[in-house]
Amino acid sequence: MTMRHLVPWSFRKKGVPVRHDEESPFSLLQQEMNNLFDNFFSGFDLRPFEMPAGAFSPKVDVSESDREVTVTAELPGMEEKDIEVSINRDSLTIKGEKKDKREDKGRDYHLLERSYGGFSRTVPLSVEVDSDKIEAAFRKGVLTITLPKTAKAAEEKKKIRVRIE
Amino acid sequence: MTDTVKEVQKKEAELQTGVERTRATRVYTPSVDILERKEDIVVTADMPGVDEKSVDITLEKNVLTIYGKVEPSIPENHRLVAAEYSVGDYQRVFTLSDEIDREGIQASVKNGELRLVLPKAEKMKTKKIEVKSEA
Repeated sequence: MTMRHLVPWSFRKKGVPVRHDEESPFSLLQQEMNNLFDNFFSGFDLRPFEMPAGAFSPKVDVSESDREVTVTAELPGMEEKDIEVSINRDSLTIKGEKKDKREDKGRDYHLLERSYGGFSRTVPLSVEVDSDKIEAAFRKGVLTITLPKTAKAAEEKKKIRVRIE
Repeated sequence: MTDTVKEVQKKEAELQTGVERTRATRVYTPSVDILERKEDIVVTADMPGVDEKSVDITLEKNVLTIYGKVEPSIPENHRLVAAEYSVGDYQRVFTLSDEIDREGIQASVKNGELRLVLPKAEKMKTKKIEVKSEA
């Protein structure tokens, strides 16, 4: 851990948008502190494009094997036609809108916990992927995107044997 | 603000004390919307990863339990590099009042969204009383 990790605020520099949601109490505390400082320091400027509270923001998991990168996102209740997946040179973007199908909002609801709205998530890709062979499947409310690594990228990661001298 | 919202999206279920589980997975509380209509009550729950075969709905006395089994989604030979959510089962328990017509409960799952329709019992439906004008 470098010194930078101990500094509780980041001045809204979010860095890489993917992060590990670790379970350790310290990382939770640190996250809490980060939020506290972020919220405090960003309280004075206007952020008109930020999503309102309660907006839908799906969570994303990224896993990797030697040959491919798999990105999964939880999008319950969405239709595949409302999901848009695009690839940039070094990032993957999942965009979409979870349509609010609720009839007469709020009035006769006893409980409103689910969230709706448009969202856009970008996942940085650390390796080169073959953009022609990307597959996206939507099953049971979970979007799975499989990105095969290019031969070059797969090659790059080779195990180096340790020799005894 | 948004962080508290995200927490609501997938919250780990509080299990009853003294209840032991046999499946070594996490259990989450799905977020639900409950709408009361004239004829019925509609419960919609977000349960990504659940289909009609893996959801279990039981009604015992007046306790309605929704249980959704989710199989781990990480393909073989993959290792997780970034995790914002983790996969687990879903459970939520509701206590129903006598107003529900138990025989007519309907459930359907589409795209990880469970929809339960609980029809109100005949006698509990809101009745509209017509006002007659007397000549």
